[in-house]
Amino acid sequence: MTGIGYRKDFAEELLQSEILKPSFIEVAPENWIGVGGYWKKQFQKALEQYPLFTHGLSLSIGSPDELDYDFLYKVKSFLKETSSAVYSEHLSYSKCDNAHLYDLLPVPFTADAVKHVAERIKIVQDMLERKIAIEIVSYYSPVAPELSETEFITTILEEADCELLLDVNNVYVNGFNHQYDAKSFIDRLPLERVSYIHMAGHEKVSDTLIIDTHGEAIIDPVYDLFEYTIKRINRDVPVLLERDFNIPEMEELQSEIDRLNNIKQSALKKIDHVFI
Amino acid sequence: MSLSETTKAYQSDLAAYCRTGTLPAIPGIRQDNITHYRRLVYNIVDDMLENAYPLTYGLLSAKEWKTIANEFFCNHPCQNPQVWSMPKEFYEYLVKSRHSLLIKYPFLQDLLWFEWIELELFMMEDKKAEYTTNGDILFSRLVLNPEYQLLSFKYPVHHKNARYITITDQSDYFAAAHRNKEGSVVFTDLSPALVRIIEYLAEGPLSVKELFEKFQTEYSIQLDNEGQRAIIRFVETAYQQQLIIGFKN
Repeated sequence: MTGIGYRKDFAEELLQSEILKPSFIEVAPENWIGVGGYWKKQFQKALEQYPLFTHGLSLSIGSPDELDYDFLYKVKSFLKETSSAVYSEHLSYSKCDNAHLYDLLPVPFTADAVKHVAERIKIVQDMLERKIAIEIVSYYSPVAPELSETEFITTILEEADCELLLDVNNVYVNGFNHQYDAKSFIDRLPLERVSYIHMAGHEKVSDTLIIDTHGEAIIDPVYDLFEYTIKRINRDVPVLLERDFNIPEMEELQSEIDRLNNIKQSALKKIDHVFI
Repeated sequence: MSLSETTKAYQSDLAAYCRTGTLPAIPGIRQDNITHYRRLVYNIVDDMLENAYPLTYGLLSAKEWKTIANEFFCNHPCQNPQVWSMPKEFYEYLVKSRHSLLIKYPFLQDLLWFEWIELELFMMEDKKAEYTTNGDILFSRLVLNPEYQLLSFKYPVHHKNARYITITDQSDYFAAAHRNKEGSVVFTDLSPALVRIIEYLAEGPLSVKELFEKFQTEYSIQLDNEGQRAIIRFVETAYQQQLIIGFKN
């Protein structure tokens, strides 16, 4: 199954479209908690047609600040009200010194940060009474690293006993920005924990830097990495197409969804064939 | 907490850099790339403010806008995890800090509040009210739309282009803003007397006759025919516009 990030830009079209047919939709709870009126009605209609996955932005799981429990309770209610199948968050921080920044900053790859983040994920999982999936974020600079990126990630996943949201585009972006081999990176991840995959486009802003914009079509090398990832995971995992800006025609979005589905089916068939 | 003071300090340094542009030495960072974090974070805040306050954005010079957006994000720790709600903090920051632009543009505080209320009402959670659509506007008890807000301004920001507002426009202006069933926000000019009518209805459903009586009792006056007709006209218009949403029998 392949879903799409639900955007107000195409909310109306999605309800009536014979072209765009995702398997599910995904929203950030913070964009919908406490929202009523016109958008609530549109969202409710979408929920009648599609299962919901959720992907948080503001929990700031890697923050030095205390967890926002009031917000977490609201998230819990939202997940219950919307029967959300999945809740995921980012391995990053977006609040510090009691100030929200509304974007994802990289957590230093340190042993104390591993403990800190893992403890917080466990608290969140306990409060939400469900496992959550944590996403490896794209980053443009390391911050005071002591551990390797994979060591940092795998230890957190293990200590928190949480799931992994594998954003294949982020791995590609990070591989390019920090000059490592994306496939080797994926090989070193605990792929048995992958419960959800994100795919998106990006923008190359210089010869040495890619910014994760979600504003372009997915490029071929990221599709290739996706195929590689599916083969390594060796099982069906829900996939999301993220397109936040520069929204194209519905045909183009659906063709990306179709391509992702085809790659996944083909990769899994080949594996079946090998095992049979 | 497991986090060391050193790690905390690095995280704090990076976050502070995104807000202020001042970057202390952080081990391992790539100076050429770290600037993108400030750019990306600032763009999110700036976009949200611009979308929330399009009239203010159009009124101020590019330099004035950039200055206040920067000052706000640099000096004010944004509290709301929901980014769509953050622009309210921008309004509150400017008012609390008695920003010099509020003196240069005496109507700016009203304009910002007018713009924020439109967004807030458009987005706010649905409020339920018990009512029926079967009733008589003149004789049934009237139910006020709970998704409303009363507003008072010193300048006519709700019906005059801000560019043409001058000090001579200063007066007392009252309005009601409400969200209709389609989700649009509607503003209605009110006289002080009609503000009281809305306030009476906010306490509970009342018929036109009961509104007259309440008004007459409070002000110790007898409404003449013209006064009664004015209230009836208002009630009829308010019903058409869904500021009054129905009846309670």
